[in-house]
Amino acid sequence: MAAAPRSATTGTASALSGKNAGDTSATAISVRGLSRSFGPVRALSDVSFDVPAGEITALLGENGAGKSTLLKILAGLQPPSAGSVTVFGEEVASFSPSSMLDRYGVAIVPQELSLLPDRSVAENVLSGVEPGNRWFPSRRQMMERTRDLLAELDLRVDPTVPVRSLDLATQQLVVVARSIARGCRVLIMDEPTAMLTPSEAERLFALMESLKAAGTTMLYVSHRMPEVFRLADRIEVLRDGAHVASWRNADTTPDQAVAAMVGRELGAFTRRAAHTADPGVSPALRVRELSGRRHSGVSFEVRPGEILGVAGLPDSGRVELLHNLFGGDRGSGGTVELLGEPYQRRNPIASVERRLAFVPGERRAQGLLTTMSVGENIGALTTKAFSRFGLVRRGAFDRQAAEQGRKLRVKTATMGQPITSLSGGNQQKAVLGRWLAIDPGVLILDEPTRGVDVGAKAEIYEQLFALAGKGLAILCSSSDLPELLTLTDRIAVMSEGRLVDVVETTEATEESLMTLATGATPTAA
Amino acid sequence: MTSTTPTTAPAREFPLPLRRLLHARESGVFAALLLLFLLGTVLTPGFAQSDNLLSVGQQIAQIGIMAVGVTFVIVNGEIDLSVGSTYALSAISTGMLISDGWSWPLAMAAGLAVGALAGLLNGLAVVVLGVPSFIVTLGTLSVFRGVALLISDGAPISLSSSQEGVAEFSLLGQGELFGVIPMQLVFFAAVAALGVVLLARSRFGFNSYAVGGNREAARLVGVNVKRVKLTAFVLSGFTAGLAGVLGLSFLSYVQGVTGQGLELTVISAVIIGGAALFGGSGTMWGTVIGVAFIGLLQNILNIKGISSFWQTVVTGLVIVAAVAADTWQRKRKSRA
Repeated sequence: MAAAPRSATTGTASALSGKNAGDTSATAISVRGLSRSFGPVRALSDVSFDVPAGEITALLGENGAGKSTLLKILAGLQPPSAGSVTVFGEEVASFSPSSMLDRYGVAIVPQELSLLPDRSVAENVLSGVEPGNRWFPSRRQMMERTRDLLAELDLRVDPTVPVRSLDLATQQLVVVARSIARGCRVLIMDEPTAMLTPSEAERLFALMESLKAAGTTMLYVSHRMPEVFRLADRIEVLRDGAHVASWRNADTTPDQAVAAMVGRELGAFTRRAAHTADPGVSPALRVRELSGRRHSGVSFEVRPGEILGVAGLPDSGRVELLHNLFGGDRGSGGTVELLGEPYQRRNPIASVERRLAFVPGERRAQGLLTTMSVGENIGALTTKAFSRFGLVRRGAFDRQAAEQGRKLRVKTATMGQPITSLSGGNQQKAVLGRWLAIDPGVLILDEPTRGVDVGAKAEIYEQLFALAGKGLAILCSSSDLPELLTLTDRIAVMSEGRLVDVVETTEATEESLMTLATGATPTAA
Repeated sequence: MTSTTPTTAPAREFPLPLRRLLHARESGVFAALLLLFLLGTVLTPGFAQSDNLLSVGQQIAQIGIMAVGVTFVIVNGEIDLSVGSTYALSAISTGMLISDGWSWPLAMAAGLAVGALAGLLNGLAVVVLGVPSFIVTLGTLSVFRGVALLISDGAPISLSSSQEGVAEFSLLGQGELFGVIPMQLVFFAAVAALGVVLLARSRFGFNSYAVGGNREAARLVGVNVKRVKLTAFVLSGFTAGLAGVLGLSFLSYVQGVTGQGLELTVISAVIIGGAALFGGSGTMWGTVIGVAFIGLLQNILNIKGISSFWQTVVTGLVIVAAVAADTWQRKRKSRA
């Protein structure tokens, strides 16, 4: 399929291959001295590298390494603080999504797909370049042209159906097709395989191969080494905002690439001493045959002082399981025993009373009291303790919040600062810190270090180790497998709503966890 | 102040009171109010005299009382468009009961209860049925008005001063404390003071900001979101009812169409005072300043003899200008 023959006569053929015909220059994008700061945080510092035309370049880096910032600049969503970007020999003068796309031919496939869910595939693919007259696009031509383009990309999608009816993977392919229809020469993809099953990913890889054959330049971000080494011609590595390594595929190995991504900082995330929970101690959390949205029949136990990880693909039901346990979502069956007592009618208010803490994964949407101050966010659970006749004693409240903030090393100018002015890591410390006020017996965390810089990550790990050391039972879900391998004592792996296995962390590897999570045999890479 | 180098929780975690005052959200509106006051003093003779200012206080009192209640709703990220109709419904109820021979304290209590009940119905429809408050209160704006017209049969109600107790009841709206300060202004001051304490100092107030700013995050830290919103709507209905009763007392007269369009003036005052319609921000002081701003502006235009048509135009422009200034300031802050 890689070298699919195309008919040169259709209009779409020119959209796909015509534009690149004249581009003989070797460099599609040239980045020089690119920097970007957000307040005191330097997300990118002095990054320089080249993306060769007609090749696939993989961009690697840990969470918080600066990949997203770099991609946003290249897509025109943010201007750089310093440095330049040159596309096919022309230096970019104004950074906006429309100029990057229309003038320089750079398109991005973001993680959050920006499609119009209720419009047809054709309307989405051709949005902005509708055939026919400007006010009244011709529906017939639209369908035809989309059908041709999809056929050329070897995508079997009905152009007339609404995008909402397609699965996520196909929607992503529609976004790629839209970029091609807009005449893009450089396609940037932000973790395109993160939400895909292995077979869905194969479809995307096939499309990428055929785009490459047609001369399209691609820059893409991934965490998955096997696919990177299979697809990419070049590999660029970012770490802590700096460009640290650059190879041709053949010149490096996955181990070397991982070492460059992680750098010395790996030393900061040392696993804590092996911890074996005393089997004589009764579990702090005992879950039997728990069912709810996207999960069913899940059973496990967490003992005091133990950190149990939960691994699984994004749609495995692990996030829904946590929400069901805490009581944010309603469950549909099974039993939960919390600190020795049955806990059936779960809801957040009761959970707080029973000392069950929950740090949700979507910090901005579920964790932060977005319009309130740092101190108010940290103290959110103490208003009851510090109130008399319904009035909060602000002095005591503020002192306690400041004390908590200090303990968790929340870096902020003042406690009165808006929470949104802090970096992701400090916001996360504040959200974690607020729960310590209720002296939790069980702590549930989802993606504890998503969007958190390396330094804050180490501090959060230390904090969690210390809490477990004091006998807290911790249940921690993460899509970051190295994180689970560092943080936990045992790991429960979920796949398609079922808990497939609970493994000792010391005996687990990223590969073994991924194999369990995908329910597949190890992928040949 | 955002550029201060971050340190690990320094010794002085909270800004000094003075800095707090200068950086307070409502400082911008307050500056605008002072400017307007100066402008009024210079441009209009007789403006800065105490009896003129007291009469402004009298005029803004009912709007102000309602705005206090509506502020709670807006901080919760909701809206209450029905307060003008609730105002009429409470006034009609009280008026009819007094005419029927009820003693005025009982009739007044009934009127206030009607207001609170109207708020409760709004709140229940929002939190139990999950209908957006804009739709709910757009509906009850019409329903409450309709009920007010139905029970009064569309006929105006006049309280006869010869009836026993009516003279006392009239003192609530027409009387003056120490013979100087209009009683309505005293009511407004009391309601505003309670509102300040409730919003800035109480758990309910704290939870209102939490719910209005991020409903889901508030729910996940154990805030009873439904109860908080319900309380806000009841307060809004109650204050609208109180304003309605005071209006009846002031004029000894009410009819089904009284207070039409009042909701827009009230919401305007809250918005000028700095509360965002998205919820989670705004202060009671801001609302009080917003109410005063609208009152002074109308007073200046009145003294200058500018037609009420122009006054409507100017009030509208001020709302847009206030929000534009606020947006601009926020953008500049977030960029720094």
